[in-house]
Amino acid sequence: MQTGSSKPPQITRSSKWRRHFGLLILLFIGCVFLSLNFGFSQIPFQDITQILLKNIPGIGNYIQLTDFQANKEAIITLVRLPRILTGALVGAALAASGTVFQGMFRNPMADPFVVGASQGAALGAALAIVLGIGSSALGANALPVAAFIGCIISVLVVYAISRVGSKVPMTTLLLSGIAVGLFELAIITYLQSIAGDKLGDLTFWIIGSLSSSRITWSGMFSILPFVLLGVAVTFLYSRDLNIIALGEDQAQHLGVNTERVKFILLMSGALMTAAAVSISGLIGFIGLMIPHMTRLLVGPDHRVLLPASILMGASFLVLCDGLARIISMPSEVPVGVITVLSGVTFFLFLLRKKKRVDVF
Amino acid sequence: MVNLKIENVACYYDSAKILEDVCFSVETGTFLGILGPNGSGKTTLLKSISRVLKPRKGTIVLDNSDIYSMKNTDVAKSMAVVPQDSNITFSFKSFDIVLMGRTPHLARLASEGAKDIAIAKQAMEYTGTIHLANRLITELSGGERQRVIIARALTQQPKILLLDEPTSHLDISNQLEIMDLLKQLCVEKKLLIVGVFHDFNLAARYCDSIIMLKDGKIVAAGKASETLTCENIRNVFGINVIVNKHPVTDLPFVIPVSKPKDQRQRSLSVHLISGAGTGSTLMKILTDSGYNVTAGVLNVLDTDFSTAQYLKIPVVSEAPFSPVTEKAQKANLEMIRKASIVVLASVPFGSGNLQNLEAAKEALKAGIATYVLDEVPIEIRDFTGGKAKTLFSELKKLGAVFVNGQEALLHLLNVSEQKAKEGCGKQGAVEQLKEKDDSTENDITNKVENA
Repeated sequence: MQTGSSKPPQITRSSKWRRHFGLLILLFIGCVFLSLNFGFSQIPFQDITQILLKNIPGIGNYIQLTDFQANKEAIITLVRLPRILTGALVGAALAASGTVFQGMFRNPMADPFVVGASQGAALGAALAIVLGIGSSALGANALPVAAFIGCIISVLVVYAISRVGSKVPMTTLLLSGIAVGLFELAIITYLQSIAGDKLGDLTFWIIGSLSSSRITWSGMFSILPFVLLGVAVTFLYSRDLNIIALGEDQAQHLGVNTERVKFILLMSGALMTAAAVSISGLIGFIGLMIPHMTRLLVGPDHRVLLPASILMGASFLVLCDGLARIISMPSEVPVGVITVLSGVTFFLFLLRKKKRVDVF
Repeated sequence: MVNLKIENVACYYDSAKILEDVCFSVETGTFLGILGPNGSGKTTLLKSISRVLKPRKGTIVLDNSDIYSMKNTDVAKSMAVVPQDSNITFSFKSFDIVLMGRTPHLARLASEGAKDIAIAKQAMEYTGTIHLANRLITELSGGERQRVIIARALTQQPKILLLDEPTSHLDISNQLEIMDLLKQLCVEKKLLIVGVFHDFNLAARYCDSIIMLKDGKIVAAGKASETLTCENIRNVFGINVIVNKHPVTDLPFVIPVSKPKDQRQRSLSVHLISGAGTGSTLMKILTDSGYNVTAGVLNVLDTDFSTAQYLKIPVVSEAPFSPVTEKAQKANLEMIRKASIVVLASVPFGSGNLQNLEAAKEALKAGIATYVLDEVPIEIRDFTGGKAKTLFSELKKLGAVFVNGQEALLHLLNVSEQKAKEGCGKQGAVEQLKEKDDSTENDITNKVENA
């Protein structure tokens, strides 16, 4: 073995990001345009471009809109664009947190559900919807705030339960996450049983959608800082995440402060999940499958995987939401249904094509 | 230069004490092996040195600073760890894995520069893994993966390398390659290597010093020749071994022998006539079974002589490569007279040891039961031009019992032991032994009943 050291022509890294990033950004822009076009009133791409350019400060003064375009301007800028950008943020946040959890737990099935983040958010939302908790003080904002708080509290509880001495072993974290999640689901089920006429709202929220009245520019801006913070922190720790993905002991030996990094990553994952879920409800599949698919595409290096997952997640949810609007016009299909159906199909196709057991 | 001092370290898992009062100190260029049975605290010791498990008492001092008060990255810059088996789930390229060794040297936002890449390449060349650089770590064999992990450890540019049974999942050729590589690192790169090993002989061959752990305490420490002794190994591992000098390297060479089945003290004493290694196993088995064993005449330097020495068997000896003299013969006969049974191993006979056959004859004449192990036909091992063969037939006439294997021999000895215990005394035992067929049957029924 030692003799076979003929030099390879060039050593290449695991992740080829340059090639992929251009494509992913194009994909994202394409999805946004497509989704701007989708809807009850079809708006041609040329008009969309004109309207968008008009709204860019500086350039806007040189653009003259036709009457048709001026009529549609409000649909684009006040309805579709905020909705699409919110969808992009939610998709990005869910994909990023999924990537973080899968890397941390070294488990292909990890996603915001395994640490109780999603269930906690759902419980918060259910309490707000069914029992009207916080509605007197916060009004319409009670639901997102409750979901957000529920998510963070749930993850903190899971973290505290799984603490053994000064350490938080991954296995106990995983198990207590699942246990706490099931506990919360039981309470949600009870709340559903007593929900009465609010059952529809709750169910709709649990399936997840981007069609509620909360999806506005201000709604989008309310979650933006949390998503940005979460993404920034995970970027900062993406090299550590690579090493933790090899195993905690090895990470420790390579000088990573594993306990601290784990806590930071867990919290930033929870933060991103909370932000996403608070506005859109539980949109399934993205946190689980997008990191997976992206890993097949760009490799396991989180410094590349994270941004790629974010772009993939954003594109995917924007596209699915567009489809949700036109599949059965004039009514809308909950986007959660579309994400799961289309995503799983695509994933199975990918799996069959690659025919590789090590999906990682 | 680097110095690693372990001072009074005690480790616990919950309330269970794993390590107790462990103290030692090692320096640059040493290859230290830690040996001990499962659960003796080897891995725990390594974990406490590598900062995974903080000791409840005591300190681990690396160049005058307590490693538990050092920064993670500072420790990782001077100490690298190679685990038993690194099961990596993500399909990183080997080169990326090796490059991760630079982590402690990089600032949080910095990415690996040309210098880091050069260091990683160098480490891969040194470990003979450069041709694997573009392969996925998940697709490598165990030996290849372990080499890549060692390359990663070198990329950390450490002064100390800790290894936890680095070769336990590897085949023998990979084991030797890895150990050679480690030795090379120790000598050429002046690394301090601390490894947990399972194989005595591998440890003896490569380690400069050895620490033996038992129940969390250091039982022996020092050079291989000082620590790898029969007594230490029996004490620590509870097994019997024969320790020889390795014929080529002159280092201790350990041959494990399975645990004695019963430790009963037997009343019979057996005198063994053997030579050239034909009696070594038998000596071991008989002493383990509790018989009082004596042997002779054996030449000094004969394998059987060494075995007898290790097993503390009284032996009548003769100068190396010399025929049996009258004096030795006399001493031998005296020893035979004290024995209850004489056993003759399948030893080759030449002019030098023909006397031993004469001794067996004397034994028979004195009424001492004599068993002749006849595994190899006498014609093949007679180098005396027929003299030995003649003596053999005389032995037969005098009533020597010929047995065709160790099993049968042990069985017969067992029978006579039982007879002797039934109060027949020495003479009685011998007489009854002659009714061989009968007693064999009895013994079988005894065995069945015992079972």
